[in-house]
Amino acid sequence: MSFSADSSTRTATRSGWADRAFGFAGGAAAFLTAGLFGWIVWDLIRLGWPHLSWSFFTGEVEDAGRQGGVGPLLISSVLILVCCLVPAVPLGVGCALWLSECVRRGSLTARLVTGGVDLLASVPSIVFGLFGMVFFCQKLGMGFSILSGGLTLAGMILPILVRTTLTALESLPADLRPAAAALGLTRTTSIVRILLPAAMPGIVVGVTLGIGRALSETAALLFTSGYSVRWPESIHDSGRALSVHIYDLALNVANGGPMASSTALVLLALILIINAAAVMLSERWMRRRYHPEA
Amino acid sequence: MNSVNDSTETESIARLSVTSLTVRYGDLVAVRDVTLAFPDGRITALVGPSGCGKSSFLHSLNRLTDLIPGCRVTGGIRLFDGTDIAHPRADVLALRRRIGIVFQRPNPFPQSIRRNFEIPLREHGWHRRDIPDKMETVLRQVGLWKEVSDRLHKSAVALSGGQQQRLCLARALALDPEVILFDEPCSALDPIASGVVEDLIHSLRDRLTVAIVTHNLAQARRIADHVAVFWHRDGAGQLIESGPAGRVLAAPSDPDAMSYLGGMRG
Repeated sequence: MSFSADSSTRTATRSGWADRAFGFAGGAAAFLTAGLFGWIVWDLIRLGWPHLSWSFFTGEVEDAGRQGGVGPLLISSVLILVCCLVPAVPLGVGCALWLSECVRRGSLTARLVTGGVDLLASVPSIVFGLFGMVFFCQKLGMGFSILSGGLTLAGMILPILVRTTLTALESLPADLRPAAAALGLTRTTSIVRILLPAAMPGIVVGVTLGIGRALSETAALLFTSGYSVRWPESIHDSGRALSVHIYDLALNVANGGPMASSTALVLLALILIINAAAVMLSERWMRRRYHPEA
Repeated sequence: MNSVNDSTETESIARLSVTSLTVRYGDLVAVRDVTLAFPDGRITALVGPSGCGKSSFLHSLNRLTDLIPGCRVTGGIRLFDGTDIAHPRADVLALRRRIGIVFQRPNPFPQSIRRNFEIPLREHGWHRRDIPDKMETVLRQVGLWKEVSDRLHKSAVALSGGQQQRLCLARALALDPEVILFDEPCSALDPIASGVVEDLIHSLRDRLTVAIVTHNLAQARRIADHVAVFWHRDGAGQLIESGPAGRVLAAPSDPDAMSYLGGMRG
């Protein structure tokens, strides 16, 4: 009796130590990760904040970026993002829907398509850029333009959208589909009115990830949407994205560092604002319509 | 609603009849050569041990087996008016409106209670303004109206298991089916909720034709007019005995049915 009590105490002490060590290591890892982000943000604020003013957001690029603002680039970036999301979201969600609802899981077609999607995800962005330049700019005659850049990015974020939507659809309760079928709903109604709304939180996560990826992309845009710092008049104009501007200031412009930091700060803020808006809008819409509170 | 006014009538006509029905999953025969009639306005209980094809049989009655890849159904299933359910070009969607089903696990859509009715009713052509009345009628029928009338805009999945199952029954009833199938509707519920659902099923008698798969022989004894006993024999599920509940439950002629119903096997 006493033996077993002793041994259990000893085990408890040992596992107590292990627990504490594990908790400490986990906590350290978490703080390190958060600290890294904090450090980056702090550095950007320290270097970039002094140059920020209203005119920085509205002004044109002057003296290769050492002076002036990023107004046209902000507009170009947003336009590139729109040109990217408009085709990418329906394509990505449609592809995931087809994989999850229309073909049998594990069938040859399904495996070929998912394999293709995963392969697409592993293509380096510079290769996407080269492809975009050859295909959109030259072959389709779109030239260096916001449209070419957006479409190239669309191809790049497709795998993210497909994967996240597919995961969301596959993790839905399996009995939703028979429930819909048993009420005589068509497959279209079942997908549009029941499955998609239920998968919406996952899809929104995919879209926000895609937005982050698209806005921060540089390599793929160098060859496709170009360097022009003029105010874009249409999506057929060349337009420099914020990320390309940062790259240019940091590498090609002497004393461009501080302005690069300011631009980076603007880009970071833009991503955060767009993501927050996407999450908020979708939550409000979903709550009103589909996911009421308990 | 179809009502059989004369409930004392001994043998009513068949609302749904099945002839030589076989359900296969690839090479596996789930249930073989079943011929069975479901009398109009009566409750038919399908009983038998697990794995004897009762659920496969039930799901084939409104073609839900179509959803399962590799599943093949042969034989005849006919509604009272001659509608051939098993026909490859049968209007499956209209058919599923006429033959509703309630599953083992409650499966409300993860949306508001109201949307759970709006989606199927709109699909079948109801006008938006007629839906609230219909919803209230069926929710009253299942005794859920008082509990949810002030929270129709709230999520259906926040209800208790028993409430969810009654909601699913109400949702099926909203489409005015002629036949309603129950696939072990009480087995995921606690005894009290189970009793409530059982009473509801019993209350459908005379108005609807009911087929219920149950493992609970006491439940079959309480609510069924007719009983069909399934058994796994010669590598496939088969119907070994069927008839009026009183006779089949008290004095089955098949020896396996006798030992199963007597609680000795299965």
